[in-house]
Amino acid sequence: MPGQEQLKSSVIDKDLCSGCGMCLGLCPYIKTVLDRVRVIHPCGINEGTCYKICPKTSLDISWLDQLVFSQPRRDQALGVYRSINFARACNKSAGAQYGGVASALMAFAIDRGLIGGVVLTGGTALDPKPVLAKTGHEVLSCAGSKYTAVPTLAALNQAVRTSAERIGLVGRPCQIQAVRKMQHVNYMEEYLNSGKSVQLTLGLFCFWSLKSGFYDYLAQKACGEEVLKVDIPVEGLTVTTSGGVSTWPVDEIRHYIKDACISCTDCTSEWADLSVGSTEYDSEWNALLVRTAAGDDLVNLAVKEGVVEVRPYPEERLPILRKAVLNKKMRILDESGEVVWDYLKVPGEYMAEIRKQWEVLQ
Amino acid sequence: MSFFGVSLDRPGHSVVLTGNEAVARGAIEAGVSYAACYPGSPTAEVLPTLARLGDRFNIYTEYSTNEKVAIEGAAAASFAGLRSLTICKADGFNVALDFATAICLSGSVGGMVIMVGDDPAAHSSVKEEDSRFLARTANLPVLEPATVDEAKEITKSAFDLSEKLALPVVVRCTTRICHASGDVCLGELPQMVKQASLSRDQKSITSALFASFTKNKLKKAAALAENSPFNFYTGPENAKRLVVASGPSYTYTAEALEILELAGSVGVLKLSTTWPLPEELILKHLKTAGEVIFAEEVDSFLEDGVMTLAARHWEDVGLIKFYGKNSGDVAGPGGPFVGELNPDIMTGCLGKVFGVSYTPPEIPNIQEARGLIKNNLPGRELALCAGCPHRASYWALKTAVELDGRDVIVLGDIGCYTLGLRSTGYNVLQTVHCMGAGVGMASGLGKLDRFNFRQPVISVVGDSTFFHSVPQALINARYNQSELLCVVLDNETTAMTGHQPHPGRGVNAAGLQVGRVEIESVLTGIGIPVTVHDPYDVEGTTRVIFRLLQEKGPRALILRRACALVSVKGKKKDRVYVDQELCIGDSCGCARFCSRVFACPANIWDNEKGKAHIDEAVCIGCGVCASLCPQKAIVVERTV
Repeated sequence: MPGQEQLKSSVIDKDLCSGCGMCLGLCPYIKTVLDRVRVIHPCGINEGTCYKICPKTSLDISWLDQLVFSQPRRDQALGVYRSINFARACNKSAGAQYGGVASALMAFAIDRGLIGGVVLTGGTALDPKPVLAKTGHEVLSCAGSKYTAVPTLAALNQAVRTSAERIGLVGRPCQIQAVRKMQHVNYMEEYLNSGKSVQLTLGLFCFWSLKSGFYDYLAQKACGEEVLKVDIPVEGLTVTTSGGVSTWPVDEIRHYIKDACISCTDCTSEWADLSVGSTEYDSEWNALLVRTAAGDDLVNLAVKEGVVEVRPYPEERLPILRKAVLNKKMRILDESGEVVWDYLKVPGEYMAEIRKQWEVLQ
Repeated sequence: MSFFGVSLDRPGHSVVLTGNEAVARGAIEAGVSYAACYPGSPTAEVLPTLARLGDRFNIYTEYSTNEKVAIEGAAAASFAGLRSLTICKADGFNVALDFATAICLSGSVGGMVIMVGDDPAAHSSVKEEDSRFLARTANLPVLEPATVDEAKEITKSAFDLSEKLALPVVVRCTTRICHASGDVCLGELPQMVKQASLSRDQKSITSALFASFTKNKLKKAAALAENSPFNFYTGPENAKRLVVASGPSYTYTAEALEILELAGSVGVLKLSTTWPLPEELILKHLKTAGEVIFAEEVDSFLEDGVMTLAARHWEDVGLIKFYGKNSGDVAGPGGPFVGELNPDIMTGCLGKVFGVSYTPPEIPNIQEARGLIKNNLPGRELALCAGCPHRASYWALKTAVELDGRDVIVLGDIGCYTLGLRSTGYNVLQTVHCMGAGVGMASGLGKLDRFNFRQPVISVVGDSTFFHSVPQALINARYNQSELLCVVLDNETTAMTGHQPHPGRGVNAAGLQVGRVEIESVLTGIGIPVTVHDPYDVEGTTRVIFRLLQEKGPRALILRRACALVSVKGKKKDRVYVDQELCIGDSCGCARFCSRVFACPANIWDNEKGKAHIDEAVCIGCGVCASLCPQKAIVVERTV
């Protein structure tokens, strides 16, 4: 198994790094600023954990399905899940995106003692940063989507050294992938608990994240006013500032999309316990995919305690979501139908199914 | 420093002094009133010796911001009739040269002596330089002591000579004179009343028209040199074989001739007045000599002068074979123009030229000793001290530069932090030339955008270097809107040469509090935005540097943290140790980061336990390594 040198040559130098942050803090040689992750000094170690856990060194989709769910997927768009619903927080916190379900569920999990802390992205829209929240209140204060690639998992590596044992994570799909890979790296367990200590993963819907240049763009658009909230629904970039709400076409920010995100097939955090996203339909609600028993238990308890409410995902909306996801998956194929990206391992039967399910929706 | 010996009022007695102390004593005996320098090795100890005795002997002493200012101040004192001394190293004389080449034309009044320390082998310099050439360019006579005792006598007499000639006199010492100790015979201490006076009628003017006066003064100097007690000849009358030697090379020669049993047959002409030369004295010996060999350091100054003289008088001196640096016959292991001479080298060279076989005596058990050393002495690189704030600054710089990813160019300068060129500073620096040069070069690089040069440029300077010669370059950068980031590594002292104070310290040479000249105020005054940060906060420093790299125009960052050697004195230091549970040794992804890469001398590797360890005797308790350990295995126990 290769190490830092190959991580640099095959991921970082090729702009495939999505800035998940999983490799940060394992050693003193990989550092970050903004959305950037760089090797600053050769470590000299041939085999590196950094390479093993990076979601962009290899991503074997059916292997991950087996690892997390012990079964292959039937739905090539959304992966393995138990249920899909609309959900919203009963008491939505200020700044929360749509229904506020992600913040509400994680704050609830901490308050009930199910987990000791949550690693998530906090800070402000113009200055997002990794945070380890240890109280429900702290979780709620981090509510609201950050659209730039914040290497949040750096906080996870730090958290396992300092305090919390049972950690929850709110992350982008690549971050869920990295944590799943980390959980699998057995030899690590003796020294590093970054994977093991993660007890609950809440993945976000993510079609792409943005480069840090987006901050400057945003600041310029805000014309000196405080940026309160950012949203990128179908109709375009919507920025809420102290002066009001403005919308710009998505095309204006397209060149800020990270190169790494173009090759990504995972739009709904397919290996998380729970996946949460926009409904693209009703801004008061979130889409909520329950994928594992652990996720199911939390949602059931939260519903019972009146923390969140759920309702069935509207039948007519599901094909729209699945089509959007499958469109992105089809884009990673070249003209001959092969996967363009070396690191992506998509088995033949999955590939055939993706095509089939996509064609049905056309 | 032997203040007692330097100030002892017992004429005729001998005391042991260093060469630098001997120069100070010589100046005191001569009644010096004004002494100024910018500190530089090998002459750094002269001024503090005078400063300490300043009240007793009524001497004004100052650390000047640079050598040019120092020599100008000393010249002013001379103009007012006082005896003055400037002290510098060869590189410093370069800085002073503009003024030095002017004052020969205006002339001096009170005895004015410039002590220049040349550094053969560049022990504490970036280059070897022979300042005698500079003195000749400046039309200033040169005196060279060969021993510590002579250093005192020559310094003292240089003031008299200066007054006789109305010209400053250069006393050229080398490292082996400055730093060696030897018997010095004390002379009378002065009983003079020092009175500065300057009338409205006096003028001190430089004009090309005065060149002939200067040349006449030098003719007078040459005439006086003929009878200088510091030039002498030893050996047989009418020697066929002659060594012409100056400085400590004279003593090496004397020793070599004894070893080779040639003392009776080879003549030695020892010269201290190496410019202008005592031509009659030299010609007298050249007339009988058939072979002449030169012993001097650094360059072939004496050699060139004597050979030119011989060429002018070829009819009188006849055929002579010359051996020296130009012929390659007088050379150390590095070659004729590289490194120092010593008795061994001179014995080898003289033996070869004069056909006497010489085998250096075998040191008993040397082979066995070498065998024992071979595998047991660890290789040691030059390294920044334990806890040095520069190490933290360099790690942050390296990190920020790598994160930036645009092939940031980092220019260096002169000071402890020049070590940033090497692994102890993570090879961050790419240039080193002379004081302030990095900023001037950065200012130039920062204007190459029209030629598609878009890489960010960082110039690293020290605080003392800043006051010495950086503001001019920064004013240039600001005026011409050059794209550069000037990082001032401010350890609040002139660390490299021995912690002399500077304007930023707010303490003068006499130890009086005079208020700080703030670097940030200077920068702000120039119009350059400045950020101040503590380099011990490596992560914060990295972020600041990264942010500043993204900004435009000339900008500056002061990384301020007192030199670890100063800050640790007289204080109880924090205890730093490795938690043996938390350190996972070679299982960690750090690959022995603290002892191998970060490489503070206090971070060591415990081979038996296979874990990191802190040498608590060396550690100063800064805790920077603790902040960088990925396992958080290094514990800082605060003592307060």
